Amino acid sequence: MKMRSLSDISNVVLKNAMFWNGQKFEPRDEVCLHVLNGIVPRDESFVRGDEFDCKGALVIPALFGLGLDFMEPLRDDVYKYSDGIDAMRKGGFYGGLYESSANPIDDADKLTATANRFKMFNTIVGEFEVKFLGAYSKGFGTDSLAEMMELAEAGVVGFGDGNAAIPHSRFLRLAMEYGKMTGKRFFFQPMDKTLRKSGCVHEGAYSDMLGMKGIPRIAETVAAYTVLETARFLQVPVHFKQVTCGETLELIRSARKKGIDVTCDVGLYHLLLDDSCLETLDSAYHILPPIRSAADRDALWQGIVDGTVDAISVNHTPVLRQDTVVNFEDSVPGALSLEIALPAIWNKLVSKVGEARAIELLSTAPARLASAAPAQNNIVVFAPDRPHVVVESDFAGHVCNSPLMGKTLPSSILATYINSVWTEM
Amino acid sequence: MSSLEIKHLFGLRGVSKHDIRLILDHAKQFREILERPVKKVPSLRGMTVVNLFFENSTRTRTSFELAEKRLSADTVNFASSNSSVKKGETLVDTLRNIEAMKIDIVVVRHKGTGVPKFLADNSNAIIVNAGDGAHEHPTQALLDMLTVEEKLGTLEGKNVTIIGDIRHSRVARSNLWGMTTMGAHVTLCGPSTLVPRNTDLMNHVTWEPDVKKAVANADAIIALRLQKERMDDALLPSMREYRNTFGITQELLDCAKDKVIIMHPGPINRGVELDSDIADGEHSVILDQVTNGVAVRMAVLFLLAGGRNNENA
Repeated sequence: MKMRSLSDISNVVLKNAMFWNGQKFEPRDEVCLHVLNGIVPRDESFVRGDEFDCKGALVIPALFGLGLDFMEPLRDDVYKYSDGIDAMRKGGFYGGLYESSANPIDDADKLTATANRFKMFNTIVGEFEVKFLGAYSKGFGTDSLAEMMELAEAGVVGFGDGNAAIPHSRFLRLAMEYGKMTGKRFFFQPMDKTLRKSGCVHEGAYSDMLGMKGIPRIAETVAAYTVLETARFLQVPVHFKQVTCGETLELIRSARKKGIDVTCDVGLYHLLLDDSCLETLDSAYHILPPIRSAADRDALWQGIVDGTVDAISVNHTPVLRQDTVVNFEDSVPGALSLEIALPAIWNKLVSKVGEARAIELLSTAPARLASAAPAQNNIVVFAPDRPHVVVESDFAGHVCNSPLMGKTLPSSILATYINSVWTEM
Repeated sequence: MSSLEIKHLFGLRGVSKHDIRLILDHAKQFREILERPVKKVPSLRGMTVVNLFFENSTRTRTSFELAEKRLSADTVNFASSNSSVKKGETLVDTLRNIEAMKIDIVVVRHKGTGVPKFLADNSNAIIVNAGDGAHEHPTQALLDMLTVEEKLGTLEGKNVTIIGDIRHSRVARSNLWGMTTMGAHVTLCGPSTLVPRNTDLMNHVTWEPDVKKAVANADAIIALRLQKERMDDALLPSMREYRNTFGITQELLDCAKDKVIIMHPGPINRGVELDSDIADGEHSVILDQVTNGVAVRMAVLFLLAGGRNNENA
């Protein structure tokens, strides 16, 4: 990877690229990054610079990642905020919505501390558009409310659960009732912990065949229904993270008809995989919420097509190597995705919904959900028909937990230009 | 072909009829050897087998250990309760340390599905599954098959009914794969909270909720052990109701064929899944299963080790 900040180079001129103009891709013989970045050329020599021949590749707006969790401060010798930022740059993400499950942002000081750590690295490479979810309870517990008013004032864009199961109904009501004063949206991963119990995979034909403990769909739908009813009762906006099955999408459709303000995303891997992957018994497929059946995956795609799904999330979760090199049930769930999301899903997404909606689902809509600015002049140079084999060095940090490791992706990222840094892969 | 197609024994799903036949035929030979005054053969002399048991086991480990000793292998027992695993050593580190001691075969039992395959992917040793979670317990199924063949002549066309906690049973899963491969028809029966909810990938067997119908045409009945934890987990109301509904009683046996054989993987909860008079009665072949367990495990170890010193067997 070759990385140069704007200050290091005179300029880069993109040649033979297909630029997204907001409606379609159009050929551009030559685009100067300085000009793209709004810098007025002083003279001809300023405009000229290193040339990058895109060879007909697409230049699309950079992406916005829902579901960032760099797992600090668990093992900052293995994965740091700076690794996460590297991953964003490699994958063409100009920003993301961060929610730490390991270190809940449940008061304003923690938000400041976390934001400062991002800024510390951002000062080197420019400002990424990172937004934060606060916790609605202290330590993601179900005993005490977090200081939501102060968190809102300090800048959180919503309140989340750290991807823990939803709390008991009374606490849920109180949290949303109190949090309503902030006007912020509540982000839930709908999961009923009693129905999940010790389940680690989708409860279906494969889990039963293999004797693995399953998580039934109703663990998601029961939780989703509880949240939706509470949201209807209290008139609080809610978002569902990583919906995994068609039944939940049906609840969302029905809720919207009743006037409930509910948005949702589906995870990258839930659109790409199905539970037949369990046959391998490979812990790389250990992802929560679980990868469900092929029928569920098809229902999620239908939700993408009909507009029920607002955005595609990445849920980038580094897992220590020693926590993945174990048998499936003892492994720590989670997968990296920032670096490979776009090449993994672009072609299939475009074939289903077209280019404009694909960009909406990966960039504009996730940013809107996180109250973030749009991509503006941050771009990804992307070859949709150039296959790429996923290798360890694709990933930032000292981790490589991805179910797509070793697989051939249909597309490649050639370069990114994010926050004034030009990066060639 | 007189050697196995498989290199390890993870389970019986996907194992060919040829391989199962080979194991059962060798087990029959070893069964004869076990009847001799001198029961030991030098087949695995010079080889070292480690019994790596991360779950408590008495009879399976004893059976494997005896099989290994009958084959003249050097045997090492490794239980997690007195191992470095308690000190935080990872599974793969444990294996690599053991492997560094030049172990040839690892017999493993673990609560996690797929651990035997995981170990095989991370070592050069031959791996034998002695039970992984609720996934498979292939040597138990093989000894069940050997017992059916011994008592009924063949598995082909026989009706085998398995009753009990199918959902959590690795014995049931291995049997349904192995027995159907060998031509038996398998019927599974149990309380609705203890049978798999999704049987799409196991639709080559019959799921019968009515226990009387399930045993009516059975040539062999396997009663599974009921774990007391199932009551604590609200999967069943009581042992009493289970016994009265799904237990093998004389009343239930009266609904079955006259010459039906009764099997159980052990240890038995007498008066729960199996009444005492049935367990000790004329239909019971439970102790034959135990003897066959040693023979089957000898056959598996011998064949996976490459059939070395075949002439000595």
